[in-house]
Amino acid sequence: MHTQIRWAYGYNQWKFSWQDFARVDDNLRALKVTAACGFRAIELFGGTGPWFPLGRPESIALNFGSAAKFKLQLEDCGIGAISSTFYDPTQLSFEELHFGLSPTKRADHAAILATARIHALLLAELGGSCLVVRPFSSYAAEGPLDGARIESAADCWNAVGKMTQALGLHTVLHLDALSALRTRTELDQLLKLTDPGCVNLAVDTAELTIAGHDVVALYRHYHSRVRHFHFKDALAVDTLGEYKLPNAERAMILAGGKRKIERWFCEMGTLAGLVNFPALLGAMKELGYAGWVVVESDKGPQPAASSMMLNSWYFQRVLSPLLA
Amino acid sequence: MSEGNPNLRWAYMDHWRIDTAQGQVSQYSSVERFDGFVKQIAALGFEGLETFDFHLGVMQELFGSLQNCRAFLQERGIDRVLSLFHAVMFDRRQSAPQLRATHDFIVGNAERVVGGAAGLGVENLIVMPAGQYHDVEPVTDEKIHACADVWSRVGEMTLKYGIKTCCHHEFYCGIHSAEQVRKFYEWSDPRYVFWYCDTAQHVISGVDPVDLYLRLHERCGGFHLKDTHHVDLNGDYRRRPESEVTAPTTRRWFWEMGTEEGLVDFPALFQAMKELGYRGWVSVEHDKADVGGGNYPESTAIAAWYIQHVLKPIYA
Repeated sequence: MHTQIRWAYGYNQWKFSWQDFARVDDNLRALKVTAACGFRAIELFGGTGPWFPLGRPESIALNFGSAAKFKLQLEDCGIGAISSTFYDPTQLSFEELHFGLSPTKRADHAAILATARIHALLLAELGGSCLVVRPFSSYAAEGPLDGARIESAADCWNAVGKMTQALGLHTVLHLDALSALRTRTELDQLLKLTDPGCVNLAVDTAELTIAGHDVVALYRHYHSRVRHFHFKDALAVDTLGEYKLPNAERAMILAGGKRKIERWFCEMGTLAGLVNFPALLGAMKELGYAGWVVVESDKGPQPAASSMMLNSWYFQRVLSPLLA
Repeated sequence: MSEGNPNLRWAYMDHWRIDTAQGQVSQYSSVERFDGFVKQIAALGFEGLETFDFHLGVMQELFGSLQNCRAFLQERGIDRVLSLFHAVMFDRRQSAPQLRATHDFIVGNAERVVGGAAGLGVENLIVMPAGQYHDVEPVTDEKIHACADVWSRVGEMTLKYGIKTCCHHEFYCGIHSAEQVRKFYEWSDPRYVFWYCDTAQHVISGVDPVDLYLRLHERCGGFHLKDTHHVDLNGDYRRRPESEVTAPTTRRWFWEMGTEEGLVDFPALFQAMKELGYRGWVSVEHDKADVGGGNYPESTAIAAWYIQHVLKPIYA
C-alpha cells in the first residue's frame, strides 16, 4: 500500500435537518459504522448551535468533557485519527452572531480569522493536519470576481494560513461547484497571491467535475499546490451554468435545476459516475501525493450507512489494489 | 475479517429491503440493486450469504443460472450462498411435522429445494422444526418424536446433496423450551439433524444459548447471531397470528449485536466456541431491523463493528 496517502471519511452525511443527529449516542453509532467500513479517520465538519455534538470545541467540551476525552471516545469507536476540519465562513453562526461572512470583504476578515482559530486550536489538539475552508461565497451571492476581490480573499486566507502554520496545521482551499471562483485564470491569480508555505488547495473530485473541470488534468497542472482531497463521484456537469441561479444551493443542487437532476453527487463506483478515480489515483501516485484523502457521501440518500458501505467496497476492491 | 487462516468465516442472513422511489423493494428486484446489496455486505467483511429458498427462482431469472449468480457474488467478495432458509408453508393439510401423514410431502418439498439449489455452494438447509406453537399445542412427546423423525428423514436426504439440515428454534416454534429442545435432539438422528444456534430466539424463550451450545456443540451446524432486549415473560410465544410481528407487548424483538440493552452474552458464547474448537461459518442475522425506524445497512455495520472490536479479539 502507498503509505503516503492516508484515508479518512467525511462527517457531513449524517445530518439532514438542523435538529436531527444531535444526540451523542447517535454520533457514536455513526462513528462505529465508519470504523466498521474500514475508515479509521474522519474529517470533522464545523457546525453551529446545540445540534452538532462534534461541530465546535464548545460542543465537544459539553458533550465529551474535553478534547482529550473526545479523542479517547473516538478511539473506543475505532477511529484513531482526525484528518481535518471543514470550516465554511459563509454559513450563519449562532455563536458568532452572523448570517455568513465573505472572504472578499476585508471587514469580515477579523471575524473569519477568529472563528478559524477556534476550529484550528481544536484540530491541533486532536492531532489533525488540515483546516479545509470554503474560500469564496457562491457565485450567486458574490457575482463575478475581479482582481481586487481575489486579492482580498487571498489576504484573508494568508492570515488564516499563518495562524494554522503556527499551530502545525495547513490551510487548504476547497472550491465547490457553486463557488464564485470559476476559471483556471482566477485560480492562477489566487494561487499566485497565496503563500504556498501555508495555503494550498483541496481538490474535491465531484464539486470540480460538476463545475466543468477535468479533475485529473487539474490535479496534474496544480499538483504542487494540492494538499488535500475529497473523493466523491458526480453524476452531471453544470452545462447550463446554473451556478448563476439565485440561491443556487437550493435551485440547482437541491431542486436539480432545469434538468431536474435528482442527485449531483454519488458513491465511487456508480456506473454513471463521471470521475475517473483510477486515473486520478495513478496521477497522485506518479506525482508523489502525500496527505489525506477524505471519502465523502455528501447528500447521499438514506440510509447514510449504505452510501458509506458502497464507498468502502470501491475503496477496498478497486482503489487499494492500485496502491499496492 | 478473513485475514490469515481464521477459524471462523462470516456470513450474513439476508432480510434486507432497499429504499427506492417506489418505496421499499427487494434487492432481488434488479441486478443493479442486488449488486449494491452484495457490495455493502462484502465491504464489511462478510464472505457468505444466507437467504430464503424462495429467492432461488429470481436468482435464476436475474443471472440466467445459479452458477452465474455465484460467479457474480464471487466477483464482489462473497464466496457462496451458504444456507437456504426453508420457508415451509406450515399447514395441517400438507406440512405439519407433528403429523406423520404430512411427512412424505415435507420430505419431497425439501428435496425440490435442495435439488434445485446446485451451483450456489449451499451447505445448509435451515428449517423451523415445528409450526407455530399455537398450531402444535399441546406439545406432547409423541409430537416431538414425529418432528424428530421427519427432520431425520429430511436430513438423510439433504446430505446426499451435500447439504446439512439444521434446525432453528424461533421463540414461537412448537419446539422452543429447554426441555422440548433437549428431547428433540435426543430423539432426532445425530447423523442427519443439526442445530442452528439463533442467539436471540433462544434468549427470548428463556433458554441460555451458551449453555445450549455447551450441551449441543457437536450438533451445531452454525449460528445466527442477533440480539434481543426482551425475554418472553407473558406467553407471547403462543400468540396468534404470529408472535414475532403481532405480539402486543413487543414491537421489535430483534436487535443487532452491540446495543446497550442487549441480553445475549456474545463474549461468553465466543469463549465457549474457542474452548470447544468450533471451526466454520458464523452468521449474523438482522430480522426486522427496520421496525421503529431502523435500517438494515446501519444495523449490519454496527454488528460488523462489534465483530471486529469485541468478538474477534476473543476468537477469530
